[in-house]
Formats: sequence, structure tokens, C-alpha cells
Amino acid sequence: MENIDSEAILKMKDVTKTFPGVKALEKVSIEVKRGQVLGLVGENGAGKSTLMKILSGVYTKDSGTVIFDGETIENITPVESLHRGLSIIYQEFNLVNSMTVGENIYLGRFKEMRGMRGTHAKARELLDSIGSRIDTWSLVSELSVSEMQMVEIAKALSFNSKLIIMDEPSSSLTADELKKLFDIVHQLKKRGIAIIYISHKLDEIFDLCDIVTIMRDGHVIDTKPVGELTRNDMIAKMVGRSIENEYPERPRCAVHCPSDTLLEVRSLNTKKLHDISFTLKKGEILGFIGLVGAGRTEIVRAVFGADKVKGHDIRINGKHIKIKNPRDAKAAGVAFVPEDRKLQGLALSFSVKHNISMAALDRLTKYGFLNTSAEKGIAEKHIKALGIKTPHMNTTAVNLSGGNQQKCIVGRWLEINPNILILDEPTRGIDVGAKYEIYLLMKKVVENGGSIILISSELPEVLNMSNRVLTICEGRITGEFDPEEADANSIMEKAIGLSGEGKI
Amino acid sequence: MGLQINHRSVIKALFKDYLILVAIIALVFVTIIFEPKFLSSANLTNIMRQFGPLSMVSLGMTFVIIGGFIDLSVAGIMSLVAVITVSLIEPAGQFPALIAGLCIGAAAGYLNSAVILTCGALTSAEALFITFGMSTVYGALALIFSKGATQHMSWITSGTWVYDAIGQGSVGFLSVSFVVFLLCLFILYIFQQKTYLGRAVFLTGCNKTAAELSGVHVKRSIRLIYTISGIMTAAGSIMLFSRVTTASPVIGKNYETNAILAVVVGGTTLRGGEGSVLRTVLGVMLVTLLSNCMNMLGVSTFMQTVLKGAILIIAIWLDNRKES
Repeated sequence: MENIDSEAILKMKDVTKTFPGVKALEKVSIEVKRGQVLGLVGENGAGKSTLMKILSGVYTKDSGTVIFDGETIENITPVESLHRGLSIIYQEFNLVNSMTVGENIYLGRFKEMRGMRGTHAKARELLDSIGSRIDTWSLVSELSVSEMQMVEIAKALSFNSKLIIMDEPSSSLTADELKKLFDIVHQLKKRGIAIIYISHKLDEIFDLCDIVTIMRDGHVIDTKPVGELTRNDMIAKMVGRSIENEYPERPRCAVHCPSDTLLEVRSLNTKKLHDISFTLKKGEILGFIGLVGAGRTEIVRAVFGADKVKGHDIRINGKHIKIKNPRDAKAAGVAFVPEDRKLQGLALSFSVKHNISMAALDRLTKYGFLNTSAEKGIAEKHIKALGIKTPHMNTTAVNLSGGNQQKCIVGRWLEINPNILILDEPTRGIDVGAKYEIYLLMKKVVENGGSIILISSELPEVLNMSNRVLTICEGRITGEFDPEEADANSIMEKAIGLSGEGKI
Repeated sequence: MGLQINHRSVIKALFKDYLILVAIIALVFVTIIFEPKFLSSANLTNIMRQFGPLSMVSLGMTFVIIGGFIDLSVAGIMSLVAVITVSLIEPAGQFPALIAGLCIGAAAGYLNSAVILTCGALTSAEALFITFGMSTVYGALALIFSKGATQHMSWITSGTWVYDAIGQGSVGFLSVSFVVFLLCLFILYIFQQKTYLGRAVFLTGCNKTAAELSGVHVKRSIRLIYTISGIMTAAGSIMLFSRVTTASPVIGKNYETNAILAVVVGGTTLRGGEGSVLRTVLGVMLVTLLSNCMNMLGVSTFMQTVLKGAILIIAIWLDNRKES
């Protein structure tokens, strides 16, 4: 099998994979050369994960050939693929939290490393080689997300990987951490290691990758050098239609037509939050900007009654309202789409129908009995209105793509006609097309007189969609901006707490 | 028969039910070949009577397991309910004693949930140990109350016809205990499939966090499942001492394992969020028939325990295998 281009480290040809009822991959061909960074983009459900799982040996392909490092690969197991030099860094890291960094890197190979001392020495070497200063003796549970990623990369290098696949590596990194990641990727490139970089964030693809492969519905649509593609081309190829703008026109309200205050929060205090006070106007989208862990989520969770608070005063339409649990919040017309779809949002083994009806169950109840035909109606209505792609309303939610899962949760809350819709990272891990639909939905909610609190780690998203933004740093509100006038740098300064006003 | 009706889960459910039906039929078949007396009306009535107590406890346990928890306290509750109810028959009358017994069961079950919620012990493992602890408490209370002595129904002079009926009576060809079982099954099935709280229990078992954040009554569901388990356990206890006509302070021994066995073998997953009381019926049938058949075939009770343990492990293995 030496008839391949010696430079190509991985060559997949006509790989097809069928699941019962679904063609997940149809004659997919991909090629990566040594020292090359291939960007792999596509909407959720386009087949990227299936492709990666075939490579790593989690799934077996139905037909086609895979040539890795000059050898044809058949029926490989995940461990074998690792030893052959193919590593995958998943979004959810494969690390043992209660063990040290060094132990994690050489997990299961302590004997080869001649005990702990050798293990840590070797781990140190590896980390130094990628310019990371993490102590090999610290526990993984004490690390930040970006540090854990470094450990994963070091682990991949410890197997002498020739190809490293990174699945959504940037989803919870800050800008600085992202830059560090880019530096490391460039270094790996120089060493001749090939990278497949999977991401929804097109900016990163443009900054980092040499070539891009675009997938849609299990097909490879196009493979091109990055330079030959424009952003809009790429989006059009991903979604199969052209999207003029990534964001719909900003709903004009609040700032330009000052209206009544809908929600007023006064001196909200919890363990992490200090004296949070803010207002939300009718028909306004209020954005929260801050680092992960700054307290953005804690604020909305406290307002929604999901966390214990030390004391606060919440007024809706001027009336003081006691919110002790999510049910009180729901009764007051507050809806909350949490940040972690799978852990906090969905009942994954339940049907789409049951997931949509979840928040409206008490309204569907009469004398304790559920009105199941009304439940069907609700599910039908939202599947249609939100364009949820599902074979049937009784399909299990786990089988839906991320964007459609998110729409189920949004539909769940729209059913109760909320005045205040809280969206925590509503577009995390969902593709461009579904993102746009979520934006349109937000617009619709506001136009119908509702208000939205939007939390997102993607700065452009908050800046483009909000009427007003608040910066949050270390549990305090540090600034208020009009996103149309303020420049991104000064907002970020406040969000990171550089200007010092955050700490009093 | 689960909550979701898509094709895959229907096939899965059919396969599960089919497998257990095959096991039941095979068991009966083998027993008949070696011991034709199995089919005698005396034995069939006997089976129906044995079915009663375990079916009650298992129906209650089904709710707990669907809610994502587990209840090991049923052994203790059974013993406590038995000794108190029997001792109340003479001073308080038959019906008041019966009601009191059910109330004690409900209270004990509710207490379990209160302890669990107060401790914030919301994982299955924590609930396992808490209810295990509570079981020893209830069991000890039963011993203290009865001073360790077994009470005999025949000592009661004021009449025990209600309990005689529960233990020995029949309606047509069905035993009274079986009729009570059918009634409970019907009510609980409707409750599970058609009511808000029934759904809330499923959602709690599937994803507590998501359910709570959607405004579903999670805490109420947890209180409810343990209370139901408590009442059903009390009912099982009353059926049991009525049948054996004695109330020993350790009468409930092994019922927790048998009930969990019946629920899991029936096809309700220990992960929670999935299952049905109907499935549990099949599980109880298998467990009851297993004891009966093994007894008829002369297999020692020690060996039977080994077999039950093996079946439980196989059931969990099959359940997880089908998931992946």
C-alpha cells in the first residue's frame, strides 16, 4: 500500500456509514498532509462526529478505505488507533480529575516510565515542549479548562501522535487562552504533526487552518484552501443556502424608544454575587458579558429561583415578587434556557413531545390528570413553528442535533408565553443555520412585547443582538454600554476587570 | 409500554417482555414435566396467594426506581407494620387496625423521603444507604414493640374475619389478595400514565435538574414515590401476615431484594426515568413462580437465593447491553 502520496498522513476514500434508517456518511473522502491543519466544518448532524468515530475505531465503516500513515486501516479499536499515532481530543475531556497532571498524561504506562518520578519527568518535558508551565503534580480537578486542554494535548504527544483531531477545542476558552491554543497548534504543525480542527467558529477556521473541508448531510461538499473561500461562501456551503448576514437586524427598542421597566432586580447577593442591581425594560434584549465564572449564570439562576440567595428584591412591572424556586419564576412569567442543554435542559431519553411540554405540564393538568391530546397539540405547534427537524414528535430527544434540541427547550418555554426569556449560551455548539433561527426567534419574542436577557461567551453575538449590555466581573456589575456605540475593547476591559472599578 | 412510544423502544420493550415471558413459560414447562402436581388447584391457589405480598411491595418499588431512587427500607417497614397492626386488632378493632397499618407504612415512607431531602442525598447510592439505615431503624422498632416475640393471629379472641378473608378468602376462582392486587395495579397504572404527578416521577428519574428548572415538582415527586412505596409495603405486610397467620418482628426479611429483583427483571431500568408497573407484574410472576417451582423440584432455599442473585445480575447486564 505504498502507492499513496508520501506526504499524506491520512487518506479516507469513499467512506460510507449507515445507521438504521439514516445514511450518516455517503462516500466521504478526506485527505490531510503532514504538518497541515485541516478545518472540518458543517452543521450539527452533517457527519463530522461520525467520521471521527470511524477514524478512532468507535464505529466501523460500511465501505470505503482509510489509509493512515501508509497503512490501510480495518477494524481498529480506539486503543490501537491511539498507539498508531492518532489522537482525538474531545469536547468533554478524557481526564481523571482526582489524579495529577503527570499521571493523567501517562495513565496506564507508569511501568514503562519507571514509576512516578520518571512519569513526572517525562510529563514535564512534554509540557515544556508546548510551552506550558502547568505543574505536573497538581490535580486535574484544580485546572482551568484551557489547562486541561494542554494536558490533553500533552497526552496526545506522549503517544507520538502524527495526527491530532480537536473537536470544538475553543468552545469554553477565553480570547487569551485561544491565542495560546493557536500558538501550540502552530508549533505542532512545525513538528510535522497534522491537525484536524473541528469548529463552528468560522473566525478560527480562517485564522488557523490551511485547508477546509465542508460537510453537509453526510457528504463532503467541498475541500479548498482557506484563502480561496470567503466567509459567506463557507456558510452558504454549510447550510446549503446563502445567509446574507450572520445576525438579523437588531430589534430596535429600549434605547431608541424608552419604555417601561419590566424587571427590576435590587441588591441581589449570594455567595458569589455582590450587590447586583439592574433593570430590564419592556421589549429589550439585555446582554451580559463576562468571563466564564464571572457570575453571569449565577445572576440569572438567582433571578429564576434556581439557587439560594442571601437576599434580594425582585420587582416585575413594579410589583414585588417572591421567587423561591423555578415554579415561582414560571408563574411570574420568567423562562430560563440553561447553558448546558444535556445536563440541565433536556430529559434526553424522553420524546421530543415530552420535552416540549415539560414547562406547561401544570397547565395541562386538570384534577391531577394530564390532557395528553392537548400535549400533542403543543408539541405539533412548536415543532412546526420553530422548524424542529425530527422524524416524529415521539422521537427520543437524544437523537436530535444540538440545534434542534435547543429549539425543543426554547419551544418548551415559549408555550408559557413568558414576559422575560433568559437565554444562557443559547447557541453554544449549534451550527450557523440553527443559530440564525434562534436569533430570529429572539427577535420575534421581543417584537411581541417580551424581554430577553442574553448571556453568551461569543462577544459578537451579544453585541449584535442586544440593545444594552452589562459587563460582569467577579460577581459584580462593572459597566453598562450601548453596544451600537461602545467599542469592543472598552467593553472587554470592564468585563475582565482591568479598569479596577470592579474591585472595591 | 414505557412512556415513550417510538419504534426502537417498542421493539426493545417487546424484546424485554418477550424474554421474560420465555423464561416464565420455560420454568413452568420444566416444572410440569418433573412435577405434574404443579398444576393442581391447591398449588395454583398457593401461587396466587404467594404472589400477593411481593406484588404489592414491588408495585411501590417500581415508582421509587422509576423516580431514580431505591428503597431498601421495605423489609423494616413490613415488620413494623405487621407487629403493630396485629397488636391493634383486639384493642382497636379490625378496620381501624388495618387503616393504622397503612398509615404507619405511609408515614415511614414519607419519613424516608424527608430524611433524603433534608440530607440533600439525591443520588441513588445515597438513597440506598439512607433507606438501608432506615430499614434497621424500623426493624429495631418492630423488635422493641413486640419484645422480639412472634404474635399469633389465633390468640386474638375478638374475631379476625377481615384478615382471614385477605389471607385465605377467594372471589370466584381468584384469591382476595389477587383481586386487591389487580385493583392496585389498575389505579397505579392510571396514576403513572395519566396524571401530572405520574409524569413528574418519570421526569425526576430521567433528569432531576432539567425537571426542576422546568418547574416540575421534583421534591414532591420524591416524597410521593417513597410514600407510595410505604403504603404498598404496608399492604404487602398485611397480606403476608394474614396468609401466614403470624406476625413475626422480622417478617419482612428479604422482601427488599425480592422486590428490586422483580422490578428489574420486569424491565424497569435502575437508571430511572423508564419503566412501568405492568412490567413489574411480569417480574413478580417470574420471582414467585421461581420460588414455587424450585420448591416443587426440591431445590434448597440456599440454592434458590444463589439463583435469584444470578438472575438480578443477568437482568442488569441485559438492560445495559441493550442500551449500548
